[in-house]
Amino acid sequence: MRIYKVPVLRHIVGFYTSFIRGTPLLVQIYLAYYGLPLMLKALEASYGWRFDISGIPAIYYVYVAYSINTGAYLTETIRGAIEAVDIGQFEAAQSIGMTSQQMYLRIILPQAFLVALPNLGNTIISLIKDTSLAFSVTVIELIAQAKLTAARNLRFFEVYIAAAAIYWLTCIVLEHIVRLAERYAKRKRGLA
Amino acid sequence: MIELRGIFKSYSNRPVLKGIDLEVEQGQVVVIIGPSGSGKTTLLRTINFLAPADRGLIRIGEIQVDATKAHKADIMAIRRSTAMVFQSFNLFVNKTALENVMEGPLVVRKLPKGEAREMSLHYMERVGLAGKEDSYPNQLSGGQQQRVGIARALAMEPKAILFDEPTSSLDPELVGEVLAVMKSIAAEGMTMLVVTHEMSFARDVAHHTIFMDQGQIVEQGSPQQLFSNPQEERTQRFLANFLDRRV
Ligand SMILES: Nc1ncnc2c1ncn2[C@@H]1O[C@H](COP(=O)(O)OP(=O)(O)OP(=O)(O)O)[C@@H](O)[C@H]1O
Ligand SMILES: [Mg+2]
Repeated sequence: MRIYKVPVLRHIVGFYTSFIRGTPLLVQIYLAYYGLPLMLKALEASYGWRFDISGIPAIYYVYVAYSINTGAYLTETIRGAIEAVDIGQFEAAQSIGMTSQQMYLRIILPQAFLVALPNLGNTIISLIKDTSLAFSVTVIELIAQAKLTAARNLRFFEVYIAAAAIYWLTCIVLEHIVRLAERYAKRKRGLA
Repeated sequence: MIELRGIFKSYSNRPVLKGIDLEVEQGQVVVIIGPSGSGKTTLLRTINFLAPADRGLIRIGEIQVDATKAHKADIMAIRRSTAMVFQSFNLFVNKTALENVMEGPLVVRKLPKGEAREMSLHYMERVGLAGKEDSYPNQLSGGQQQRVGIARALAMEPKAILFDEPTSSLDPELVGEVLAVMKSIAAEGMTMLVVTHEMSFARDVAHHTIFMDQGQIVEQGSPQQLFSNPQEERTQRFLANFLDRRV
């Protein structure tokens, strides 16, 4: 293994990615929503810090859950992409005396990024789709807005269709951007 | 220029190098031959710490390092005063030919950009690739890629260059152009340690040849001596097999 050289770190990161990828995002959101306030209370109790816990908007817990969740998937994507870079690229960089930082910034990461692009795109797209789950902790966002509007005029179906269309459109635009980025990166190194 | 003393190296308790002593004088070309798995690649890689030796002494010019207590700074110093040419080229695939050559002068040696560029253009020309500066590695033939590899090594202006079977992955018709470049830099006095099975190159260029088997130097001498009049039975067997396979 050439990336995680610190054993303790490797175990922590391994546990983190395994837990996040092995549990549904909805459960993680609930964990954050119900668990974080408990944690903050415990901190208050033991350190005497003051938080206005009831004043923290629900969306913040959702942000935390999303960040932790996306972080895990990105970690795996980037780790996989770095491992996909030919070992010879590392050796050539080392053989001319590059520091690790120079090697990663100039040689490895630009190559890994190209490998990771399709996966990065997918991760971002599922993140966008998953924003609908935020509703489950009473956060009003797209679907929530749709439900409220629908309740008012009882045209559920049209409103959900509209919501779906907005998600879909966003994802199509994103997919397109990813494809353009890929093509650009490939052209830049004579692959296309 | 290069001195190795008592180099030992094991992979998961299996000894691969069993006490190698070796010296390459400044401006000398030393060729290493030996059967597959005898440790030739590993030996080259212990020199620049791509595969750190378990113990032994490594000296490049004035830099002397004990493998058991090598500090990062020592390793960097050794890497900066040597360069390596790989069997599979290992050109940076995200960089053009010229950028490949420029990485060393610009990023590692930290020369001003104009100077690094001048120098790199010079070495591209030196290996006969003027005009190919903007090509990416995958747009070049194997022979051209390997010549870029040599230009990249030269641009480090190293004290010695380590070649690991630089022509083994080339189509036969492309071997000649790479050997020609190697001959010409040898003629200019570059110190070279070369693993190769190109007997003609060894015969024409090498000052000294080494036969390795099972992690040890079995026999060494001038190319004439070693190829025409090998003393050790293992060398004789290898050469006989080897020459058989070739014809
Ligand atoms: N990274 C590694 N991990 C484990 N074993 C290795 C590693 N690299 C080399 N070896 C083993 O060490 C021994 C020597 O390998 P080495 O590549 O140095 O041989 P070689 O003389 O260069 O052979 P060839 O002519 O096939 O290139 C082999 O048995 C090989 O399997
Ligand atoms: Mg080898």
